[in-house]
Amino acid sequence: MKLRQDLVLRKVGDDYIMVDPSQGMVDLSKVHTLNETAAWLWEQSIGKEISVGGISELLCERYDVSQEKAVQDAEALIQEFEKAGLLEA
Amino acid sequence: MGANTVPKLTNHYYEIAGLQLELRFCSTLSLNNILPSFVGFRVEKRNETSAAVVTFQEEEVPSEEEWGMLRSDISLVWGDNFRFYEQEDAFVTLIKHTVKDKQWMMKSSKDFRESRIYGKADDPRMGEFVSWLLMVVFGQVGLQHRLILIHASVIAYRQKYGVAFLGKSGTGKSTHSRLWLQHIPDTELLNDDNPVVRFEEDGKIMIYGTPWSGKTPCYKNKRVELKGFVRLEQAPLNRFTWKKGVESLVTVLPSCTALRWNKDLFNAMTDTLSQLMAQVEVGYLECLPDADAAKTSHNALFEEWR
Repeated sequence: MKLRQDLVLRKVGDDYIMVDPSQGMVDLSKVHTLNETAAWLWEQSIGKEISVGGISELLCERYDVSQEKAVQDAEALIQEFEKAGLLEA
Repeated sequence: MGANTVPKLTNHYYEIAGLQLELRFCSTLSLNNILPSFVGFRVEKRNETSAAVVTFQEEEVPSEEEWGMLRSDISLVWGDNFRFYEQEDAFVTLIKHTVKDKQWMMKSSKDFRESRIYGKADDPRMGEFVSWLLMVVFGQVGLQHRLILIHASVIAYRQKYGVAFLGKSGTGKSTHSRLWLQHIPDTELLNDDNPVVRFEEDGKIMIYGTPWSGKTPCYKNKRVELKGFVRLEQAPLNRFTWKKGVESLVTVLPSCTALRWNKDLFNAMTDTLSQLMAQVEVGYLECLPDADAAKTSHNALFEEWR
């Protein structure tokens, strides 16, 4: 499982965003907003194989959070990424 | 007409928003007659390398099998007259016509720096079509120089500041500009449809008039500092709201020109746009077509202390 490489994370004002150009016939681009933690995790994970284990480890290193909570958050994040179509097909 | 005679070409140079555009057209054609809106942008050759070179020799439009894969046929900025096709090493822009003889086609390198236009020089709409095709070229080439061609009506205020009004066709962009001209002193129309926003080398953001201005003949070779973008929406009242961060980007993005399916060009555009958002104000105006609407946006941009 990998993050889509064609998406570029950018900071606009206080927001972290990714613009996903539509591939269809109409100009309807999607804009994804990430919070600071998700944006940081995104940067850490570019080009790498991602997993619940890896993400939760990153979370534990950076934040004062229990292992259990980190695993929950990592699972939720990967699900969110998947739902939003941010993972490589 | 001898099939093997190659017509002589003449080079013409134009500078639009600081970019040198080079046209190589048959020497028999008078470009000032064909492209009257470009006359004010003519220059002597300034740079060895032009940002874009466009060649026109009267040639048959290549047949449909040679166009490539259809990538897009609807666009907010271009209207529904265009079709874009992609080939391995080229993009094809087609201006549709039911009569095959009246179609116009342009084949461009993937970075749009080199293009060749195919069509008939006796077509009474030649000027209009060539102008549109040049807009396609300029829009895509510009992205590689931190320029964005936008769909907007823009006023220059006090000869110094530009305000770009955005909105879907029929929202009243031109109407809102006209209300400024009538009710806000020291205002002039800079462009009514397709101005260019440019991130200058000194970090300033300028907005330029262009040879493209929709139905309004307003082709000013002139620039002012861009103060803000205002997206308009018809409403039963006048109400101005500021947009920040991701909302500001989403507000402006639909009015920017880029072929959405070309990753490099699209990313170049989003890069420039993201940087613009740090320096330019973005507002949203629900408005009536009245004097108060112009005063509301004027106050928000130039009077309020925020």
